[in-house]
Amino acid sequence: MKTESNFLIKEENVFCGALSCRGCGWSLLVRHISNVMGTKTVYVVPACCFSIIAGPYPMNMLKGTVVHTLFAAAAATATGVRHSLDRQGKKKSAVVVLAGDGGTFDIGLQSLSGAAARNENILYICNNNGAYMNTGVQSSTATPMGAITTTNPSGKTSNAKDLMGIIAAHKIPYFATASLAFLDDLKKKLEKAKSLSGFRFLMIDSPCPPGHKYAPEMSIEISRLAVETNYFPLFEAEDGDYEITHFPKKKIAVSELFKQQGRFSHLFKTDATKLMNSYQKEVDTEWEALLEKVEK
Amino acid sequence: MKSELAIKITKVKEVKRHTKKVLKGNTAAAEAAKICKATFISAYPITPQTTIIEEIASMISKGEFDAVSVNMESEHSVFAAIKGAALVGERVFTATSGQGLLYAHEVLHAIAHLRLPVVACNVGRPSYPWNIWCDQSDSLAQRDTGWIQIYCENSQDVLDTLIQAYKISEKLLFPTLVVLDAFYVSHTNENVYIPEQKLVDEYLPPRMVSDTDIDIDHPKAFGGLVAPELYDKFNRLFWQDMNKVEDAFNIVGAEFETHFGRSYGAIEAVNIHAGTKKILITLSSITTTARGVLQSNPDVGLLKIRLMKPFPKKSILKVLEKVNKDCILIAIDRNYLGDNEGALMQEIKRAMYGGSRKIFGVYAGLGGRDVPPTTIEKIINIDFNSPETEEIIWIDK
Ligand SMILES: Cc1ncc(C[n+]2csc(CCOP(=O)(O)OP(=O)(O)O)c2C)c(N)n1
Ligand SMILES: [Mg+2]
Repeated sequence: MKTESNFLIKEENVFCGALSCRGCGWSLLVRHISNVMGTKTVYVVPACCFSIIAGPYPMNMLKGTVVHTLFAAAAATATGVRHSLDRQGKKKSAVVVLAGDGGTFDIGLQSLSGAAARNENILYICNNNGAYMNTGVQSSTATPMGAITTTNPSGKTSNAKDLMGIIAAHKIPYFATASLAFLDDLKKKLEKAKSLSGFRFLMIDSPCPPGHKYAPEMSIEISRLAVETNYFPLFEAEDGDYEITHFPKKKIAVSELFKQQGRFSHLFKTDATKLMNSYQKEVDTEWEALLEKVEK
Repeated sequence: MKSELAIKITKVKEVKRHTKKVLKGNTAAAEAAKICKATFISAYPITPQTTIIEEIASMISKGEFDAVSVNMESEHSVFAAIKGAALVGERVFTATSGQGLLYAHEVLHAIAHLRLPVVACNVGRPSYPWNIWCDQSDSLAQRDTGWIQIYCENSQDVLDTLIQAYKISEKLLFPTLVVLDAFYVSHTNENVYIPEQKLVDEYLPPRMVSDTDIDIDHPKAFGGLVAPELYDKFNRLFWQDMNKVEDAFNIVGAEFETHFGRSYGAIEAVNIHAGTKKILITLSSITTTARGVLQSNPDVGLLKIRLMKPFPKKSILKVLEKVNKDCILIAIDRNYLGDNEGALMQEIKRAMYGGSRKIFGVYAGLGGRDVPPTTIEKIINIDFNSPETEEIIWIDK
């Protein structure tokens, strides 16, 4: 297998010195996004870890315009920016939202839904690290069942929200999932999203060593495992036509993914078989449902 | 004395280059957005603001008004979209009311401190107990957000004030909230002189593109984390410029008179002279009722506050300079904000600090409760010199 690394980046559109933790998904992700999107891009960033990573005033880590905005209002702010650039004839520019899972699944869901339903010409990218990381690992509705966070110290007792289902229901031109362990796939999806117009949505499964409790060098391996276990399948849907973009070669139990992360370690202190079985069943069911969508 | 006052009441003068129409306050607001050539509008419906945005939508769809209009899914998003558009350099407009304005509170701060020249209309109504009628608690609860606030008395005032609002906002880079009374102004038909487009264009050229706007060819970051020293500094600069607003607004009003023939300032003093015994201090449409009552009360004056935020202390003190020390000030508040004094009383006390003049605060007309001339008479006839009279009075029990 060919190794994926820097050669994917033709144009380095980030400056060095990002204020991210080691192994952070955000800082790796924006390198790849900005490489594809180019400098004539307005990034709209609601409160999230990237608000900090991008640099305090007057710094800007990205070679592109960055508009820091309110936690709930990314898609709405982007709406105003997009229409105004259009009015000024700057049609070649791109408007990209870079939001966390909290700003997408929770407080920003209303403005996201509004913009998606209006089919605004925006690319919305959610860096899903499964919790409010900026404020110190509190649960969001993207946090997986069982995971320990500072607001669910005994483990979260409800399921993560099916945001891709909600997004699909908006019947937008393009939506996809992508992983930082599959950079070719990520790049293709970014390029496709860039080439289309209307509301486009990318969900990125994002590693977070301090939040998920593992060593920074494990970030990519764990991201890969999430895909290979079918816990986070890679797919895309253009005009509602689903396609799976990566089929795992061999079946790996989802417990292998969970065992790597400290946030699930309490589950394995006693016999985790029952819980893992139910998790496995759900992952299998979701995968089957995805296959069905593709076959339709 | 009587004839002079009567002239002031029929103040709307026939002037050249205007068309006379009968308009509701809300229609005047929609018309103003058009003649000010707002280019980006977003809105969300709430009674009694709705007809403003409906009329704008209708004008845009008929091709009479060249602007982008986006129907958002909440007021928080409305103001966030307007923030985005203003950052790109567009001249923006929106209108809201009551709960809508309260819901957007977070964004109001952001817009002000990004120094965006946003202009928005608020048709004043309260939030809770649930009520849709005239009250100023919604906008007055936003006094600390860093927006300029101007209160309008009638339809003509709404139209003219919106034109001036863009002027002052774009001059000093502050957002402005133009407030009109629910129903008493928003839904009341009155004569309005609409200036011809060229006259407005001469006074209000298109918004200048500035190097602090988004320019995709010269990327910058907007609104990033600000360290304590810089935060403190930015606020000092904000404060410095905010302190220029009162004078600048008076100049904007004077220039407006030169162009359009109607005179405006931060305040309006009616019948205030050395012998005035009592001065009613008002906002918005209560002023009109008080004007009428003044005709039979020659020793009562009226001080209308147009510019409520920042509070025009200088202009007020100047008007009161010539007034006898025993003259009593009576602030009429159509708002309740959870303290003893209403907002106008608080501001007046603040402005008069250190002086010896007696000041009273009267609550009247909250939630749309009628304030007829008899109520104004009742206020005037309170025995303010009696030691029994409380400083804060609810006029209707
Ligand atoms: C209205 C509002 N409420 C709360 C916050 C505090 N806050 C800032 S960032 C954040 C968490 C962001 O989480 P997420 O969107 O998942 O992004 P991440 O930090 O994980 O990248 C919170 C709760 C805020 N900025 N605004
Ligand atoms: Mg997160």
